[in-house]
Amino acid sequence: MEANTGVFICDCGRSMNNIDFSRVREKVAKIPHVTCVNLSSNLCLEEGKEQMTSCIRDKNIDRVVVAACSPEFKEHVFQQALENAGLNGHLLSVANIREQCAWAHEGDVTEKALELIRMAVNRTRLLQPVEEKELSVNKGVLVVGGGFSALNSAIQLSQLGLPTTLLERESTLGGRIRELENMYGFKTGPMIEAAEGAKNIDILTSAEVLEVEGKIGNFMVRIRKGAEEISRSFGAIVFATGYETEVTDQDFQLKPGVNIISQERLAQMLQASSPKGRPQTVGFIFDFYDENSRFPTLATLSNALAIKQKWGSEVYVLCRDVKVDSEGADQLYREAREHGVVFSKFEEKPRISADDGRVKVEAKDVFLGEDMTLICDLVVAEERILPPAGTKDLSFLLSIRTDSQGFYQDENVHLYPVASERKGIFFIGGCRGDLDFQRALADVSSVVMNVYGLLSSGKVVVEAEKVKVDPQKCVACLTCIRVCPHSAIQLARTEGEKEVAEISDLACDACGVCAAICPAKAIKFEGYSDEQILAQIEALGAP
Amino acid sequence: MEEIKQMIAPYNKLLLAGCGTCVTVCWAGGEKEVGILASQLRLARSAEGKEISILEATVERQCEKEMAAELKDKVGEVEAVLSLACGAGVQTMAELFEEKPIFPALNTAFIGMPEKEGLWVEMCGACGDCFLDRTGGICPMVRCAKGLLNGPCGGTRRGGKCEIDPEKDCAWVLIYRRLEKQGRLDLMRKYYPPKNFRAVKSPGRIQAVKA
Amino acid sequence: MRGEIVAFCCERSAYPAADLAGKGKLCYPDNLRVIRIPCAGRVDAIHILKAFEKGAAAVLVLGCEDGACHHITGNIRARERVRYCDMLLKEVGLDGGRVGMFNVAPNETHKFVRIVNEMNEKIKESGETK
Repeated sequence: MEANTGVFICDCGRSMNNIDFSRVREKVAKIPHVTCVNLSSNLCLEEGKEQMTSCIRDKNIDRVVVAACSPEFKEHVFQQALENAGLNGHLLSVANIREQCAWAHEGDVTEKALELIRMAVNRTRLLQPVEEKELSVNKGVLVVGGGFSALNSAIQLSQLGLPTTLLERESTLGGRIRELENMYGFKTGPMIEAAEGAKNIDILTSAEVLEVEGKIGNFMVRIRKGAEEISRSFGAIVFATGYETEVTDQDFQLKPGVNIISQERLAQMLQASSPKGRPQTVGFIFDFYDENSRFPTLATLSNALAIKQKWGSEVYVLCRDVKVDSEGADQLYREAREHGVVFSKFEEKPRISADDGRVKVEAKDVFLGEDMTLICDLVVAEERILPPAGTKDLSFLLSIRTDSQGFYQDENVHLYPVASERKGIFFIGGCRGDLDFQRALADVSSVVMNVYGLLSSGKVVVEAEKVKVDPQKCVACLTCIRVCPHSAIQLARTEGEKEVAEISDLACDACGVCAAICPAKAIKFEGYSDEQILAQIEALGAP
Repeated sequence: MEEIKQMIAPYNKLLLAGCGTCVTVCWAGGEKEVGILASQLRLARSAEGKEISILEATVERQCEKEMAAELKDKVGEVEAVLSLACGAGVQTMAELFEEKPIFPALNTAFIGMPEKEGLWVEMCGACGDCFLDRTGGICPMVRCAKGLLNGPCGGTRRGGKCEIDPEKDCAWVLIYRRLEKQGRLDLMRKYYPPKNFRAVKSPGRIQAVKA
Repeated sequence: MRGEIVAFCCERSAYPAADLAGKGKLCYPDNLRVIRIPCAGRVDAIHILKAFEKGAAAVLVLGCEDGACHHITGNIRARERVRYCDMLLKEVGLDGGRVGMFNVAPNETHKFVRIVNEMNEKIKESGETK
């Protein structure tokens, strides 16, 4: 059947003076299969849209070309006009004669506009409707981790009515949040109680994820809890596996011991009601190892302040720079100084040695220009923030990439910070890298909204078979499965007993990488199929 | 490419015959490659200012006469056939369509497995004298750069890598580990006389140039 | 030979960049023909070769910045493929450099225009354009 193509041209309120529209109209009418050409000045406005709809209906048009502004702006409006006329919105091609033609060139560009319209007509002839379909999804959410981000997102998700499973590797919940209590003044206990008391939360401790199969809406997760193995299905998975710290000993010959401790140990000491023999002098060392020291900075500032307030010791902070980009860090810094914490700037790493049961720290102060020697009772060492143990295995298991430091990588830092490249799998909090508290809070809200939006109605609307494998042509070479960036393709057995690749409408993000790479040309990407792309090239330079 | 251009130089009507099984899987002679080669040949001819007409067709397996026979009508229309199948496919076609010249477009190199998309590692040299029973299922003929049959050479690098290609594992280290796992290390002590090496070319591995 | 430049533009980066260039009235040669694609990784060798068969003088594949591809490695695959096509074209005697892959962020209008201009200069030099 030959297409009955309608071309709607819009001169955008006469803003394209370098195109001769009457000539365009005349010539377009002569293109094969074009049965109707309309010229308008306001196609995207309500009346233009209505005219378009009635014209499509009256003249039985089944494929549409709009020659107007960039499809980036108004494509959805024109699609709506098609839908209103009972035509699938996908059967539309837009010829961008404004931004990429009239406005981009000086002088007469009527010929170029014509060619762009010819390209669009050629493409639109070959378009096939893409239906939308509703798929039901499992409303359950798996939250992996037991720390601040995990607890809070689980609590919020359960309050929104999504049955949530909280899976923690350790035997108790809480993760590392006790360390943060000093810093932010919240209490861990009530938070854990809230999670334990919540109706919709199922808590699995001493458990770990063994295998994740399936895709968004229906992940099958194999879990080991103690000695037994369980399988459960979830609609989405949130990883909040936190971070680990490591005292950076090799650089300073720091040997953590009685006098040289980590921030974690300091937090414990500060929380203990009566510290035996309060240290007279405390030194903090940081910002020598890692440029990205947001979290160590915060920990140092708040703990230094806490020491001043609780123990009244002398506190020295030895660092290269104090970076106060986190929210509230600037104020903390000022407060610490006001309370008498002394900050010294060094370019070189300090030398550290034992001195009769105390610790001697020597380095050249940048501002004094002199060597400075400090005898401390206690030195709090710089720590490196690391991804938690098992991240590598987990990322392999999920086929999700990590960044250069081994943390989970955002799908797109600006647009989709908590999403991963697999739809329905999210990462929040410390496992995304060196985060501060405010960012972790933002992650929690973000992931709760994302997951709620996905699962709350119990179903999602997807474009059905937009990218499709032709089982007749597929030779099961597995190339597409290996290259799919969203793990949306699997081997499936069709009725004919032949194993072929199958693309999940839910997980597919319509990039077309598979269609380009398929050696058997078995994958068709509706809208961007080989034929449709080549048809546009076909129109190059046509008379 | 030069080779192909010379082969087909006298002909103006060609059939490019792809094969839909093995060579499709290894990105060499499926429908996609047929399209690319056809386009390339057309461009080459037009650069010389000459015309060429090319038919494109891909069958399931050119090495099966029944399947290759599907091309009969198309072969009838052209002056010559350029086959993108392996050596077996080309020969089947040649036997089937004796009256037309059938040219090979590929150089069949080895039997391998994909390590990741686009990188194939040679696994079997099709030597006709299988040795795998003695080596824990790892072929030293093709996977050892020197094709040694009685243990490694002296040049194995640290980490069990090959002296010649540091990206490759030493086949004999792999064999030792495998046999050790199976408790069959006694096999390492046996002496095996030289084999007929003439059948083996051993390119080792092939990386596709495109992604 | 007419001498069009065919540009396959990723709808997440180079396509909006081209729009912005037009909006800002940054003029570039009018022999550019943009084909919108969902990701640079969608472009296949055959698309590029066919463009040359149809008389294009040059082909550009324009995708996202490295590391910013929504589909992870689409732009990197595109680069490989363009290199492969360059090789295929050389094999048939079309001198190299007439197909290029570039990264253009959605706001890099000047870069977009520069790339198009440079390619146009190149094909002018080889006497392909009218």
